[in-house]
Amino acid sequence: MSKLSKMCVVLIAALFAAGSFAVAQGGDLVIAMNGSSEPANLDSQLDPFDSAKVLNNLVADRLVFINPDGAQIEPHLATGWEISDDNLTWTFTLREDVMFQDGTPFNAEAVKANLERIISPETGSGEAAEALGPIASVDVVDEFTVTVTHESPWNSFLYALATQGVMWSPTALAENTPGEFSSLLIGTGPFKLVEWVPNSHVRFERWDGYNWGPSIKQEPGPVALDSVTVKFIDEELVRGTIITTDEANVVWDLPAQFVADYEGNSDYQLLSGYQAGTGMQYVMNVTQPPLDNLLVRRAIRHATNQAGLNNLVYDGRNLVMNTPLNSVHPCYAPELESVYPYDLDGAKALLAEAGYEDRNGDGIVEAYGVAGVEDGSPLVVRWTALSRQAKGEALQAQLRQAGIDLQLEIIPGPVQLERAQKKDFDLIYERQRIALPEVLHIVWFSENDGPGQWAWTGFQDEELDSLLEQMINSLEPSEACDLARQAQHIIQDNALQLPTLSEAVFYVLENNVQGFELGSQGLWFYVYNASVEE
Amino acid sequence: MFTYTVRRITELIPVLIIVSVIVFSVMHLLPGDPTELMLAGAEGGAVSAERLEELREVMGLNDPLYQQFGNFFVGAVQGDLGTSIRFRSPVTEIVLDRFPYTLRLSLAGLAVAMLIGVPLGTLAAIKRNTWLDSFSMALSLIGVSMPIFWLGLLLILVFAINLRWLPTTGAGGVKALIMPAFTLGFVSAALVSRLIRSSLLEVLQEDYVRTARSKGLTGRAVLVHHAFKNALIPVVTIIGLQFGHMLAGAVVTETVFSRPGLGRLVVNAILWKDFPLVQGTVLFLAIMYVLVNLIVDISYAWLDPRIHYG
Repeated sequence: MSKLSKMCVVLIAALFAAGSFAVAQGGDLVIAMNGSSEPANLDSQLDPFDSAKVLNNLVADRLVFINPDGAQIEPHLATGWEISDDNLTWTFTLREDVMFQDGTPFNAEAVKANLERIISPETGSGEAAEALGPIASVDVVDEFTVTVTHESPWNSFLYALATQGVMWSPTALAENTPGEFSSLLIGTGPFKLVEWVPNSHVRFERWDGYNWGPSIKQEPGPVALDSVTVKFIDEELVRGTIITTDEANVVWDLPAQFVADYEGNSDYQLLSGYQAGTGMQYVMNVTQPPLDNLLVRRAIRHATNQAGLNNLVYDGRNLVMNTPLNSVHPCYAPELESVYPYDLDGAKALLAEAGYEDRNGDGIVEAYGVAGVEDGSPLVVRWTALSRQAKGEALQAQLRQAGIDLQLEIIPGPVQLERAQKKDFDLIYERQRIALPEVLHIVWFSENDGPGQWAWTGFQDEELDSLLEQMINSLEPSEACDLARQAQHIIQDNALQLPTLSEAVFYVLENNVQGFELGSQGLWFYVYNASVEE
Repeated sequence: MFTYTVRRITELIPVLIIVSVIVFSVMHLLPGDPTELMLAGAEGGAVSAERLEELREVMGLNDPLYQQFGNFFVGAVQGDLGTSIRFRSPVTEIVLDRFPYTLRLSLAGLAVAMLIGVPLGTLAAIKRNTWLDSFSMALSLIGVSMPIFWLGLLLILVFAINLRWLPTTGAGGVKALIMPAFTLGFVSAALVSRLIRSSLLEVLQEDYVRTARSKGLTGRAVLVHHAFKNALIPVVTIIGLQFGHMLAGAVVTETVFSRPGLGRLVVNAILWKDFPLVQGTVLFLAIMYVLVNLIVDISYAWLDPRIHYG
């Protein structure tokens, strides 16, 4: 090829690239999401749903930001922060060029108004108020400096600000009731809320006054997208296929059974994210037979084949996990993966040691000489879940091979909470999705066993409690993780939970969607750099 | 007629009181604490007992039950149905916001039921024991037996995903209403057609129909002017009941087509133990149901001049 020809090719390619770049600006992004995750109130200061926080990312900013790469906490509306030597007072310096969508300036007074609103009992903010910790005072130092003082050290404060501390216009908050504000959402974010039709959709349009943003935002000034519409779709068939009808460009939380339809299809992009936390675990009630017996609990772990479960029910698309925290959690303890390998003979031997044998030949072992259990009664373990019947059936088949009769019960959420509090369960579903070591404290600290709390197993161990207390009081992340790993060893040794895979959050995007980014939490996404080629 | 209408409306009061008491009692008998349930929907995070207590206090859930009911009842008489626990908005506003969607869907569903059911039933009656009769009744049997969600999904697969004629979801516009209305109305169409067939067959045996025929009137004139109007009375009754059912019971259709509406609202409110919202919505639906049946009763007088209300 001559030089001239080469130059022509390069020139033509450059023109095409320039053309496509020009076309890629803007566009209307339509996202289909799971209707059952629609928040009742779009204000995440009040509503605990994660989806409220994600939708708030479109209209508002927070003081700090969790970078999707590496989950590091970075400046956002705060340019920097310091913590006092006694670990009680946080001092934040703020950006000076930010205003709310109604023209109210963003400053220290606005931060004070927002944080005080969240922690005020009158607001009735459950999760957000709890996450921000025991705040004693919020004080304005000068127009762009604010301090937050806690009654006791609160090491997850920055994480709480990055997830729960959305900043709203104090003017709009003062002028509207919580119900009214939910349909306004006046923040400092890149989009304005235009319309919310509950159970149908919510629509946002670009705000041209936006000229800031977190570090991942590549271009200065307003974002490229003209609008974002989020449709709430309950029906899995519709959510799984709507992208083929051009009624949506993105499906957020694509049902797993539709993933294969888009794999290898060049018209679509398939993304998946995992959420750090406990994964899909079923915790064991150690206060009553049969799971008060450590040998039985360990037998259940050995009789479970997670890889088989993953392949059978989910086409191998989820993460196999054998530890109290999953492998995407920063405090994951990989050395615990091999504690309970799939070992059917080992499981049977443990059951025999515990006093369970199959004397009548029906395939299910019976108790003989087991404390608190009538002789001859079969080993029945209840598996209590909110959904995922197919997974339960697969588990049932696996445990039956070891002689355990796993009885499945699918119950609604209110009944689950009641059962947990009354200790009326054997194995019960409990998943927590938090990328902090504190998640272990929530699930395993023995005093967290009351209404609204999640330590359900009834397991009490001074060493575990002590480690968990030290962990939540530690301000050094690596030290907190070390303590978390030690705590996981105790949980694992005592076989207190049955981990059953960490499920992925799937997204499918049309190929004309560019710059759609997932957050480090898997369920979160960002559209600061997104565009849709019309 | 006026006295009758006033009396019927007055009778509404004890009905509504009884409905309120039953709903209130049932909601408080069900397991679960609304504040805990609110937080159970979160993606993580335990909440201290103190915070839960604060939430209960803010929402008035710590008041004695009789006081909670009394507050609700006094408010309801004044048109204030309280504030939803989950939505943090006045129940009246939420209900009135969703009602137009439900009304639109129910009216469209009713229209589908009438447009399919009446001609089908009439045809079956006048062509009795022919293949048309068998076809009509087989169709209505399918309609009665078919699960609503299955029909809805089938329509979506054919008309939205394969043919792309209609949108899969949506709350606005006529196009978005077609499939939900058909789904909701098809079962009622089946009922209406079966009922109108049997009713018409019965009327066609009456003496006055024979008299009309003997006077030399055409079959069409006999059918339209003498038989049809009288055959409508039981049909109107069932249509009234079906319409009331559609107002409250369209939850499956609303869910499949991702439409807002009172059915979904009340089902979710029950699951979340949102007492004020359940009470308010049920009360509103009870009023609607009774009013629809009142209109049905009044229409009897128009359909059959022998009926008088005094």
